[in-house]
Amino acid sequence: MTSPRSFWSQIALLALIILVCVFPFYWMVTTSLKTQIVALEAPPVWVFEPTLDNYREALFEDDVLRTLINSIVIAICTTALALLLGVPAAFALARFEFRGKKDLWFWFITNRMVSPIVLALPFFLIARNLGLLDKHITLILIYLTFNLPIVIWIVTDQFRGIPYDLDEAARLEGASQFTIMRKICLPLAMPGVAVSAIFSFIFSWNELMFGLILTRNEAKTAPAMAVSFMEGYNLPYGKIMATSTLIVIPVLIFALIASKQLVRGLTMGAVK
Amino acid sequence: MRGQVPRRTIFAFIGPAVLGLAMVGIAPLLYAVWTSLHFYNLTKLKRVEFIGADNYLTVLTDEVFWQAMGRTFFLLGTALPLQIALGLGIALVLHQPGLTLVKTLARLSLVLPMATTYAVVGLLGQVMFNQKFGVVNQLLGGVDVNWIGDPNNAFAMIIFWDVWQWTPFVALVLLAGLTMVPGEVEEAARLETKSTWTILRYVQLPFLLPGLVAVLILRTADTLKLFDMVFTLTRGGPGSSTEFISLMIQRVGFRGFDQGLASAQAIILLIITIVLAQIYIRVFHKEV
Amino acid sequence: MKILRNLLGTVAITGILATGAMADNHGWSLKKAAEPYAGTTIDVVFLLRPGYEAIEAMLPAFEEETGIKVNIIKHPYENALGEQVRDFVAGGDLDIALIDLVWIGNFAENDWIIPLADVQAKFPDAVDPDLDIDDFFPLVLNAFGGWNDTLYGLPFDNYSGLMFYNRCILEEAGFDGPPETWQQLKDEYGPALTKDGKYAFALQSKRNETQSADSFARMLWPFGGSFLDADFKSNLNSDESQTGLKFRQDLMQYMPDGIVAYDHAETVNAFSQGDVAMITEWSAFYSSVVSPDTSKVADCVEIAPEPTGPAGRKPALGGFSLAVAAQADEAEQAAAYLFIQWATSKANAREYLERGGVPARQSVYKEDGLEDYKFVPALVESWQEGVPEFRPRFAEWPEITEIVQEWGTKMMLGEVTTEEGAQEIGTRMEEVLEAAGYYSGEKPLAQ
Repeated sequence: MTSPRSFWSQIALLALIILVCVFPFYWMVTTSLKTQIVALEAPPVWVFEPTLDNYREALFEDDVLRTLINSIVIAICTTALALLLGVPAAFALARFEFRGKKDLWFWFITNRMVSPIVLALPFFLIARNLGLLDKHITLILIYLTFNLPIVIWIVTDQFRGIPYDLDEAARLEGASQFTIMRKICLPLAMPGVAVSAIFSFIFSWNELMFGLILTRNEAKTAPAMAVSFMEGYNLPYGKIMATSTLIVIPVLIFALIASKQLVRGLTMGAVK
Repeated sequence: MRGQVPRRTIFAFIGPAVLGLAMVGIAPLLYAVWTSLHFYNLTKLKRVEFIGADNYLTVLTDEVFWQAMGRTFFLLGTALPLQIALGLGIALVLHQPGLTLVKTLARLSLVLPMATTYAVVGLLGQVMFNQKFGVVNQLLGGVDVNWIGDPNNAFAMIIFWDVWQWTPFVALVLLAGLTMVPGEVEEAARLETKSTWTILRYVQLPFLLPGLVAVLILRTADTLKLFDMVFTLTRGGPGSSTEFISLMIQRVGFRGFDQGLASAQAIILLIITIVLAQIYIRVFHKEV
Repeated sequence: MKILRNLLGTVAITGILATGAMADNHGWSLKKAAEPYAGTTIDVVFLLRPGYEAIEAMLPAFEEETGIKVNIIKHPYENALGEQVRDFVAGGDLDIALIDLVWIGNFAENDWIIPLADVQAKFPDAVDPDLDIDDFFPLVLNAFGGWNDTLYGLPFDNYSGLMFYNRCILEEAGFDGPPETWQQLKDEYGPALTKDGKYAFALQSKRNETQSADSFARMLWPFGGSFLDADFKSNLNSDESQTGLKFRQDLMQYMPDGIVAYDHAETVNAFSQGDVAMITEWSAFYSSVVSPDTSKVADCVEIAPEPTGPAGRKPALGGFSLAVAAQADEAEQAAAYLFIQWATSKANAREYLERGGVPARQSVYKEDGLEDYKFVPALVESWQEGVPEFRPRFAEWPEITEIVQEWGTKMMLGEVTTEEGAQEIGTRMEEVLEAAGYYSGEKPLAQ
């Protein structure tokens, strides 16, 4: 059906797309395996003797390992909390009729749009007054501002797709709304819940600004750590790239697992 | 009647989420309103005083603030059309039949940029766009372009990374739209005309519109939020050439320590964001 | 081998000095003084710079001796002020303040730090009889550690601006020494050394403290300019200030493109790679440019004082002192004091120097065997005649530096003329000073 010429141009185009997407990661990983002298070679070299020193130094001497653990703990906790609060709310938005529902939904979603800097300033001052600076719980809570909207948006959507007859039948048998949600709707909505959880995790993991402003030492996250290598009398490019690789790899794995649902989640139900 | 449940039940389901979000979303805002009405400098906490709308007047008349705002929308205005054009092209290529394996690979690799930690994108930019040891100049044939140190080049570099990271998103969204076009309609259209453009315009576009709207909403919001990638790549420089609105507020609040002024800036940004979100969502989005 | 020998030597010297100190000082010893505070942990912010790595390497000896644990939180310079301010306003964990000389007014006026004399009065047993305050370079001690005639901190990481030059490049072009004046640098060295992708000079000018301290102020003072006049009004539109700022514009033709994106790292790197013949940088970067691990030109590096201008030699002055934080509890304050006293002590100055730090002790520079440290003569000379208010040190500096950074960079980029830029800075700077109460007489005109 397609001519040979368009066949080959298609192949070339697809190869180009793949190359452009993947190349920066290739460069990140190879730079992370270079010593400082090799990394500063101009023009850059493509073949060299790789070393794991940057990883060793980053993980064990500079505490990147600890910040990675912080990031994992914070991302998991905030995701769990967002699901705990968000799933029932999504159920209510999908199933119940009440005044102001539209506005409430809009308010939830608007939070996704607010620049973190708007909240970072006052949140810093509040956390300061409550003695909550540099604590895991602070980040876990503030990450709700973007996780909760994600969960509510995706899961509401998912609940709406479940036929209403199912809970009608259960209600006739005297089941409470909570039982209906838990026993009937939630199992069917699991794909959406899982996707929203993955998103919530990825966004929390990737977050930088709150991590920079609200933590100092104990609760420091991995992206905040990577940034702190960026000034010195000697920028350790290899180490910075090693840290970057360590940060990015888990997210990429997650993203590939969820690649099918990723787009739908990112547009949050706008495409149907 | 369907959906009518006791008020108490509704509250039990939705209350915790509302309270939670109010605690982290609204309480800080109220605090920000309070600080924005005061002279509130972190290094002069002995001198906090009520100054009414002074901070707001300063923001409204501060050309630096509006320049940063203009720069932010200029970025949106240059990067977004590129993302849509390239994304549409990629989506059309992926939508053609055949070559399933390569296309699956391409789809998977498109997922990578948008999941990448934004801060890491900036760090990567520093390494790849360095004038001397950067791979970009080498790939361009050994040219000697100063990307990070020249205002216009630095801006172009920011556009590049924004496009790199978000074109895949646009492409995948539009691809999802293309697959919604009923096969028989598309087949029929292809019998009528050979022009890809005609098919795109009259057959496929209606199915792409919701996706385009979503892209418009999210890219606007994300550009107003843009911080991480630029912070790690140029820190707003050289000069002010890449100082977008969120970076500027961060600078005033946490480097100049004038939290009162920064709060006023943040609230004005918030108002702009909400107005835009309202317009977009109310006009285009017929959900709920 | 050489390192090992150095180390052995150092250990021997410290040993001798330590025993000596113990012998004549009526039995005062660090160990004994620290006894009540063993087990205390103190928190301090350190930068990613050689002087800090030096003290970190020496730290085990201190912790061993005292049982005090020093918890170091590392930050890039650009984050260090923000981190500390946030910690202090939050009543956080920091027990020691790391104070750049321009921050001291701010820290002192907020009562975040305690005057040295008060700490000493509180913990008389902690005071080393061999402290010898007068041994510090007076300029450095006053500028880094003092505010309003009160001493708060002891100079720890100490800088003077120096000229680093690449002897090999200069000789090749027929120069047998560095330029004596800025004018010479521009008119003679500039054209001769800028060719084939190499540049005569690089002036780090990134839009952060580097722009105001290393670039803007550096060109102001040697030409007779200054930020403020005697009435604290802007002096940036004076003929002298304008001459300096215009000179900077002129000099840019001999600097690499995009100099406004150069921070210390980029500048030192360009010099170390042999791309730039001369830089004016802090003494702290010496160990980096002479180390073969990080520098391709290690054998060619020579040091001179900064060039002079019509107003004389006005080298950049910068550096950090350590002071006890008011928010620390009693034991932490004492432990913090002991650490500061130890880190800046006469006895440790030599080892600190050998490990890459720059002590502010006069005595150490009189010792023998310093030939390897080529920066010493230029440094000592610079510290005789520096300008303490090179950057005004008052509490308003954090706001003013932001203004200078913004408009100073705009000048360099040619977005505004030097007059327009100076006008903008002047107006905005005076607004800040007005609000702070300097003009109404509420606050003394002190910097």
